[in-house]
Amino acid sequence: MSQEFRLNNEGLINRKKEIIFSFNGKKYTGYEGDTLASALLANGVHLVSRSFKYHRPRGFFGAGVDEPNAKLQVTMNGYSEPNVNATEIELVKGLSANSQNCWPSVNFDVGAINNFLNRFFPAGFYYKTFMWPKSFWYKIYEPFIRKAAGLGVASVEKDNERYEHKYEYCDLLVAGSGPAGLSSAFAAAKNGAKVILAEDKPRFGGTLLTDDVTIDNLSGKDWADKIISELKEMPNVVVKNRSQVFGYYDHNMTVMFERIGDHLEQKSKFTPRQRLWYIRAKEVLLSTGSIERPIVFGNNDTPGIFLSAAAKEYIKVYGVLVGKKPVIFTNNDSAYETALEFKKNGINPIVLDTREEQNSQLVQDVKNQNITIKFSHAIIVANGYKKVNSVLVGKLNKNKTDYEKTEIIECDCVCVSGFWTPTVHLASQSGNKLSYNDKIDAFVPDKSKQSEKSIGAANGTFTLKETIENGFKIGSEASSRITKKNNPITIPKSNELNHNPHDKFWCSPLPKGKNYKRFVDFQNDVAVSDIEIALKEGYRSIEHVKRYTTLGMATDQGRTSNLNGLQLVANIEKKIVPQVGHTTFRPPFTPITIGAIVGREIGKEFMPTRKTPMHDWHEKNNAVFVDAGAWKRPRYYKQGNETLSEASRREAKNVRDYVGICDVTTLGKIDIKGPDAAELLNRVYTNAWLKLPVGKARYGVMLREDGIVMDDGTTTRISENHFHMTTTTLQAANVLSHLEYYLQVVWPELNVNVLSTTEQWAGLSLAGPKSRDVLAKLFPNLNVSNEALPFMGYVEGSLFGVEARIFRISFSGELAFEINVKSDHGIFMWEKTMEIGKEFNIQPYGTEALSTLRIEMGHVAGPELDGRTIPYDLSLEGLISNNKDFIGKRSLGREAFKSDSRQKIVGLIPVDKKSSIPEGSHLVENKDAKLPNPKIGYVSSSCWSVENNNPFSLGILKNGKNMIGKKLFALSPLKNTVIEVEVISSHYVDHEGKRVRS
Amino acid sequence: MQKYSIFSLIKNAFSNHQNWDLAWKDPTPKKEYDVVIIGGGGHGLATAYYLAKEHKITNVAIIEKGWIGGGNIGRNTTIIRSNFMFDENAAFNEFGMNLWRNMSQELNFNVMFSPRGIINLAHSDAQMNTYARRGNSMRLNGIDAVLLNREEVKKMIPMADFSDDVRYPIFGGLVQPSAGTARHDAVAWGYARQADSMGVDIIQNCEVTGFDVSAGKINGVRTSRGDIKTKKIGLCVAGSTNILAEKLNMTLPIEAHVLQACVSEPVKPILDGVVTFGAGHFYISQSDKGEMVMGGDLDGYNSYAQKGNLPTIQHVLTGGVALFPFLSRLKMLRTWGGIMDMSMDGSPIIDKTHIDGLYLNCGWCYGGFKSVPSSGWTFAHTIAQNRVHELNSGYSLSRFSNGYLIDEKGLGTKTWIS
Amino acid sequence: MLNIKCPYCGDRAQKEFAYGGDGTVKRPELNKEVSNKEWDDFVYMRKSLRGKHIELWHHISGCRQWFRAQRDTATHEIFKTAKISEEI
Repeated sequence: MSQEFRLNNEGLINRKKEIIFSFNGKKYTGYEGDTLASALLANGVHLVSRSFKYHRPRGFFGAGVDEPNAKLQVTMNGYSEPNVNATEIELVKGLSANSQNCWPSVNFDVGAINNFLNRFFPAGFYYKTFMWPKSFWYKIYEPFIRKAAGLGVASVEKDNERYEHKYEYCDLLVAGSGPAGLSSAFAAAKNGAKVILAEDKPRFGGTLLTDDVTIDNLSGKDWADKIISELKEMPNVVVKNRSQVFGYYDHNMTVMFERIGDHLEQKSKFTPRQRLWYIRAKEVLLSTGSIERPIVFGNNDTPGIFLSAAAKEYIKVYGVLVGKKPVIFTNNDSAYETALEFKKNGINPIVLDTREEQNSQLVQDVKNQNITIKFSHAIIVANGYKKVNSVLVGKLNKNKTDYEKTEIIECDCVCVSGFWTPTVHLASQSGNKLSYNDKIDAFVPDKSKQSEKSIGAANGTFTLKETIENGFKIGSEASSRITKKNNPITIPKSNELNHNPHDKFWCSPLPKGKNYKRFVDFQNDVAVSDIEIALKEGYRSIEHVKRYTTLGMATDQGRTSNLNGLQLVANIEKKIVPQVGHTTFRPPFTPITIGAIVGREIGKEFMPTRKTPMHDWHEKNNAVFVDAGAWKRPRYYKQGNETLSEASRREAKNVRDYVGICDVTTLGKIDIKGPDAAELLNRVYTNAWLKLPVGKARYGVMLREDGIVMDDGTTTRISENHFHMTTTTLQAANVLSHLEYYLQVVWPELNVNVLSTTEQWAGLSLAGPKSRDVLAKLFPNLNVSNEALPFMGYVEGSLFGVEARIFRISFSGELAFEINVKSDHGIFMWEKTMEIGKEFNIQPYGTEALSTLRIEMGHVAGPELDGRTIPYDLSLEGLISNNKDFIGKRSLGREAFKSDSRQKIVGLIPVDKKSSIPEGSHLVENKDAKLPNPKIGYVSSSCWSVENNNPFSLGILKNGKNMIGKKLFALSPLKNTVIEVEVISSHYVDHEGKRVRS
Repeated sequence: MQKYSIFSLIKNAFSNHQNWDLAWKDPTPKKEYDVVIIGGGGHGLATAYYLAKEHKITNVAIIEKGWIGGGNIGRNTTIIRSNFMFDENAAFNEFGMNLWRNMSQELNFNVMFSPRGIINLAHSDAQMNTYARRGNSMRLNGIDAVLLNREEVKKMIPMADFSDDVRYPIFGGLVQPSAGTARHDAVAWGYARQADSMGVDIIQNCEVTGFDVSAGKINGVRTSRGDIKTKKIGLCVAGSTNILAEKLNMTLPIEAHVLQACVSEPVKPILDGVVTFGAGHFYISQSDKGEMVMGGDLDGYNSYAQKGNLPTIQHVLTGGVALFPFLSRLKMLRTWGGIMDMSMDGSPIIDKTHIDGLYLNCGWCYGGFKSVPSSGWTFAHTIAQNRVHELNSGYSLSRFSNGYLIDEKGLGTKTWIS
Repeated sequence: MLNIKCPYCGDRAQKEFAYGGDGTVKRPELNKEVSNKEWDDFVYMRKSLRGKHIELWHHISGCRQWFRAQRDTATHEIFKTAKISEEI
C-alpha cells in the first residue's frame, strides 16, 4: 500500500477494512469510511478532471457538496454513472472511476487547446460568431459544439435497481446534524415531539467532527455521538444519515433524498438504492450550516488548491493530508484552525492573511506554534499547470488595490478561505425573502413565509455558544407549541476560541500589465474577465450576467461562486450586493437521481392495468389485447396464423351471419338514483328523458357547455327513480365527475345520487341474427321475443341462478343484447354463453371487429367524438330536443355551429372498391392542386365492410349533407396514397335499422 | 452598431474585449411614443423589432417590469415546430419557421437554431391515426412530416424502451424533420439589440401601474417611472395578461397556470432531436450544453408562482423513464416554473380590442417560444396597420363568441388539464 | 404537494383531489334567456387574478364531494375551504 498522504493517528475511517478501487484504470487502496476523493488524495492523486469550456486541469477543491470540479464517471454495482461527485461518493469494493470530458486522458487532453486560445472564447462568444456562411452552422459549427457538450456519458442500460418512496408526517424536521441541528432536535425530542433529524453526510455532527471545541467537557465529536445515540433510543425520533433534504415546497412539504445502497458491499435485491421521503412537518428547522467561499486570485483553479475547511476535513475525518507544504490564504480566522491541524501532524504551513496584524485567541495560538504568518498578504497567482508548485504572493498596499512587493513561495497545496456563506437554499425555496447581512457579507434568511426557521451557521450564527443556545431554545419552543410540553433542559457549556472579524477582501487585484485568469465559477470556467465583459455589454441584471456568462449554472449550481460573482458585479456597477440581488434558489439542493424521483412506477407498472373478470379466458383463447386507457381489451382472438385484418373480418362476419360475443365490461357504468334522476338526465343529455318508461333504454348524447359532444351511451330506466347509465370506456371517470359537479355545485336542489358501478358489473354483448336464440337458452324461463323484449327494452332474469340484467341495445347494428351480471359471476356468464352458443356458431369478437361493425352502421365513436364535433357534425341533430334546455344548448347557436357549410359525417367508398382508405387521409377536390391544397374533410374511421366486401370509411366533410354522390380524393401523403372516393351515406348497412328491431 | 463576426471577435480579443459596445442602451423613458409595447419578453421584443424594420415605426418603447427576457422566453424548453393540424396554426407557424431559419443572420446574433427534428410518439393504432390526420394535414399545407413505424422509430431513438417490459409500447411516431430548438436567451437579446439599434427604447425595471383610456381610446400608460403618452399600446405579457387586463376592465378567455420544466446534469450527446411521449405528457431534448431538457404537465391549478411542486415533476419524469429507461440513472439538476397564459381553446390571441389603440397578444399556452418571430411579425403588422394580417386572422378574440375555435387538442375549456 | 382541507374529510394530500377551476363562475339558469355576452362570459371568460382566488376542488379519491377553496395564486397558501352550501 502506498497512501503516502495518509496520517496514522487521525481520521474516522476504518483502517481495519482496506478497499481496493480503480481510477483511470490504475488500482489504488483506501479504507472503509473514505470518500473517493479522500482515498485518491491519500494516494497523492490530485488531477482528476478537466473543466467544461477550456479543459483546464482540475483537482479537488472541497470535501462535500461544495465541490465544483471532481465529477467523475463512476462504475459500481455494474452500472456506470456520469457526473458523480467524488467528494460525496463513499468508497466501496469494486468501485472504478474515470475522468470525464477529456481525450485521450485527463493527463493529456487535446481539448486543452481551448485554454491556450481562451482569449478568443470569452463569455458569450458563440452568440457573436458561427453565423457565416449560413449552412456551416448546421453542417459544421453546431455538430462540433454538440460534440463538445456534456461531461460524463449516460449509460443506455436499463436501471434495474430499486427506488422507493415514503410519505412521512412529523412535528419537527431538522435538516442538518451539526451543533444547531443536534441541539434543536434534542430539545424538541425531550418535549415529546415527533422529530426527524436528517444528515446529508454519512457521519453525524457537521462541523463538530472537525472543529477543535468542547461541549460539556467532551470533544465536539464525542458530544455529537452522545446526543445521536440518545436520540436513536427515543421512540419519537427518526435519525437519518446519508439523507439530504433537497427541496422545500408548498404547505411545508419538504422532500428528502436518502442514499441506502451504493455504499453497501452486499445488498439483497429488495434493498433500495435510494429512497425519496415526502415529509410534511409542522415545523422545519434548517440547520444546514454554511459553505466556505474562496478568495479569487490568478489561476485559482489549479489542482492542489482547496478550501481551507475541506483541507481540515480531510485531516480530521479521513486522516489525509492534501499536501505537505501548505500555504494557507485567508481573510478570516477560521483558516487558522486548518493551520493548527497541519501543525499537529508535523506539517509547517505558511499563513497569508489579507488583514493587518491580528491577535485573536486563535491567531495567538497559531503564533505560539511558531507558524509563519504574513499579514496584509495575498496570493496573486498560483503557478503550476497540473498541480500547484508555488504561489506568487504580494504585500497589499493600504487600499488593497495593488502590491507593495512580491515574492514566490513554494508549496504543494493552497488552502483558501474567503469566509462563510450560510446555506440558505431551503429557506429561500420556502419563500423566505433573504436579507443581506454585511457583517458576514452574505445573505441570511429573513422573515419566514412558511413554518420554517433557520438556526446556527445557516442563519449566519458562527459561534458555537450562540448556536447551541439558539438550537436548544428554538428546538424547545417549536416543539412545545406542538406538544404543549415544556421539559426543562440545561444548555451545555461549550468552549471555543474567539474569532476576529473577517476582511471584506474577496478577490486579489491584478498587478499592472498582468492578465491572469481569475476564476469565479470553476466548472463552467467563468472568470472575472467574463463578468466584466457581460456588464460592459449591458447584461447588467444579475440574471443576465448569469445567463450570459453561465455563472452558477454548472452542476454545483454556484455553491462556491455565487457570492463572489455578486461582489464582482456590485463592485463594477458601484452598487452594494443587496442592490444587485441574487438569482433564485431552486430545488434540488444537489442533483438528485431521476430514478429516485420516479420510484416504483416503472416498466409495466408505469400505469395501473385494469382487467375485466373475463381477462383470463381471453388470454387462454389467444386474445391479442389493446390498451383502452388503463383497460386491456381483446382486440381479436387469433386463430392459427391469422393477421389482425383476417381475424377481425372473420369475427365481424360471424356476427353478421350468426352470433358473436364481446366483452363490454370496460364501458363506464353509473348508477343514478333519486326522485329527480330523470330530471338530471333531461338536463345532461340533449334529448328528452322525462317520459322514458320503466324497463326501457335510450341512447343519449351529452355536451360540454361549449356545445362540443362530450360523450354518448345508453341509459336505462330500471325503475321509476333508478337509472343505469353507460358511458364510453375512456370518458367514464370524466362523466361521473361531470354529473357530480352539476348535482353538487350547479343544481344542488336536485335530489339524486350517482355512483360508479363500472367495476361492479361484468358485461357481454351478444350480437347477430342468432343472438336471440342464444339468449333464449340462457334464460329459458324468460320471454325474450321481440314483443316481450323489443329494441331498447330491458328485463331482469336469472342466468342459471345468477341475477342478470338484459338490455336489448346494439352497437353493431345487428339484433343484439347486452347482459350484465355482478363481476364475480362474469366468467361464469361468459363461459356459459360460449357453451350454449356453440350450436349457433358463436365466436368471441374483439374491438377491431366491433369497430368494423359500428363503422359499417355509421355509429360514431372515439375518432368522431374528438372534442371538436357538435351533434350536427355527427348527424345526431335528431337527438336535440327543442322543448327543453340542457347543458351546452346555448352554445349550439353560435355562428360557426350553424353555418350552412358546416362539416358533417358521411360515408366514403373507394371508387375502385378495392383500395382501403388510410385513416387520417384528407379529402380534397383536386388531387394535384398546388400546396397548400385546400382540405374539405378527413377520414375518421376505416374498415373492410364485411357486409359489402369492399372498403368503407367514415369521414367528416365540409358541407357534407350536400356532398352525397360527389367524387373526391382521399390523400394521405404520409402513406403516399391517392384514392378516389365517392361520398355516400354514413349508414352503409341496414340503412333503415330493421335488424336491430328484428 | 458593431457587427458581430469571427473577425470582430478576434479583433476584440487583442484588446482584451474592452471595446465591445452595449448590446442595448438603458434610456430614460420619453414623454411620448408612437407605440408602447408592454412586456420585454420574446414577443414584445420581436414586435418592436418588426415595427421598426418592417413598418419603419421606431419611436417605440418597450416597457418591462423586470429585466428583458426574464419571463417565459427565459424559462421554456426551446422547442420550435410547425407540426399543427389546423390550417391557421400551420400557416402561422410555418411562416415563423422561415423567420427562424434566417434569424441568426438577420439579427447578427447567433440564436443557435438547431433543426434536429421532433418526433411525437404514438402508443396505439388510434394515436397513429390521429397523427396521420395531423401529418397529412401538414403535408397538404406544405410542411414536412413523416410517419414512422415502430422499427423506424427504433432506428431513430434506439435507447427508448423497445423491450417487453413496458406498459404502452411504441407503435410509431410523427416526425417533423425541420423542427428543432434554439438558444432561448439569445433570441431575446438578439431582437433587443437590433430593436435598440433602430431607435427603440428598451426600458427595464418599469412597471405598468395603469392606463389612460378615454372615450374608448388609448391615450397613454402610467408606469412606475412616470406617465407615458401614446396612441397605441401592444400588450405582450403572457403570464400576466389577466393582471393587466383587469387594469383595463377587461376579462379574457385566459387563465394563468404554472408549468414546470427541469434539466438533468449535462452528459455527452445521446439524444439528437426533440421527443414527445404519447402515453403521458412528457417531452425531452438535449441542449448543446448536454443537459436533458424535460417538461410535461401543468401543476394544475391557477398560479402566479414561478415554482411548482415535486409531484408534478415526479409525474413527468415517470413518463420520461417509461420512455427512456436510461434517464433513471441520470440526476435532475434544476427545476423551475413559468406562468402560462392558458387560453380556452389552446390557441393564442393576436388581435385588436374594443379599445381603440389597444392591441392584444396573449394566450400562448405552452407554445409561445416557437411563435416569437411570427407573433412579433404579425403583431407589428396589426399595430402598424390597425388591422390584422391574414396570418393572425384566426387568432381573434371574437372566436370565443362566434365559435370559430382552433382547438388542436380538443380538450375544451378545462385549461388545467391540457 | 398541496395540503388541502376537505370540508367533509379534513386535511388530505393534493393527490386525492382534482381541480375544478374558478369557483365564482355561475351557470346561467336553465330555460332563461341570456345574452350572448353573458353566455360567453360563463363559458370562456375568467379573471384568474394574482392573489386570493376562489376555486373548486373535487375530492375525487375520497368522499367525491365538490367544495370551494380560497387560495393565494401567488403563494399557493390556502386560507380556507368551504362546502358548496357555505359562504366563502
